[in-house]
Amino acid sequence: MRLIHAATGEGFNPPSAKDFELPPFIEGVDWATKPILLAFLSVIFISVFFIAASRKAAVVPSKLQFAGEGVYNFVREGLGREIIGHDFLKFVPYLFTLFTFILVNNFFGIIPFLQFPTMSRVSFPYVLAAITFFIFHYVGIKKQGIVKYLREIMFMPGVPKPVYILLTPIEIATYFLVRPLTLSLRLFANMFAGHLLLLVFFLGGEHLLNGVLGLKLVSPFAFVIGIGLTFFEFMVQVLQAYIFTLLTALYIAGALADEH
Amino acid sequence: MNKDENALWSIFGYLLSGLLVWGGIGYFVDRWLGYDRVFTLVGLLLGMGSALYLVWLRFGRHSG
Repeated sequence: MRLIHAATGEGFNPPSAKDFELPPFIEGVDWATKPILLAFLSVIFISVFFIAASRKAAVVPSKLQFAGEGVYNFVREGLGREIIGHDFLKFVPYLFTLFTFILVNNFFGIIPFLQFPTMSRVSFPYVLAAITFFIFHYVGIKKQGIVKYLREIMFMPGVPKPVYILLTPIEIATYFLVRPLTLSLRLFANMFAGHLLLLVFFLGGEHLLNGVLGLKLVSPFAFVIGIGLTFFEFMVQVLQAYIFTLLTALYIAGALADEH
Repeated sequence: MNKDENALWSIFGYLLSGLLVWGGIGYFVDRWLGYDRVFTLVGLLLGMGSALYLVWLRFGRHSG
């Protein structure tokens, strides 16, 4: 559609939030949209990759096995053992799933032909943050009992009683609202803004290319910047997947700790 | 590294919710009493102060 617009020499309509609302690819089936398809695709891809990587496990690893174990070790040692400490092992499956799922879905933003970061639709980060939210509260309640867990959250020891009027609302808001919200919105906003930025430069470059001679001459700059930003996006995608998993691990570690 | 990183993110969370909660309460007090931004400002300052106090309580007093 954009191609036609640019080709007919109409005014440039800049990319907007509308570019993220993709129509269903099966007529009349509302949920059959590209982000859903990408999410499924990522699951298949991750499964195939790690099954293939671990299938012929050998003492001297193949390149594939090395890559697979590298990612796994990174999550297990760097996020699991390092952050959660003691008892980290039972959380590694979740952390690992979370990290790879977000990572691959973020990569879809710059993989040719797919080129859409799943997490730029806000429902996906919401669901992931909700899972993290329930897990870390569940873990905390199970470990300490609901009364003790809530008391630890709400009432910091060693403070004169009237001050709790000021502090307790902040603690409650932090644990039950700000944490899941910032977790999901950080991921969403980064992916959304990144994709929009790429759209601006590539669609803009394309529009310039279809303009008069003077504009044609400038269009390569737009493409070069766009390509540069693609590499930048790659870093952001890895970083955001890491931060989401890191914070999940930190929240679990916080819920497990006897004293904050 | 664990402690520092934890502190960093928690501090961000506390400051944000401090501003949101008490700024929000101030905002609604303003709407309720018909003032213009007075209580919102008071709320924001109160929230910021309380959040900083909370940060000190949680991360400052043991290492000081």
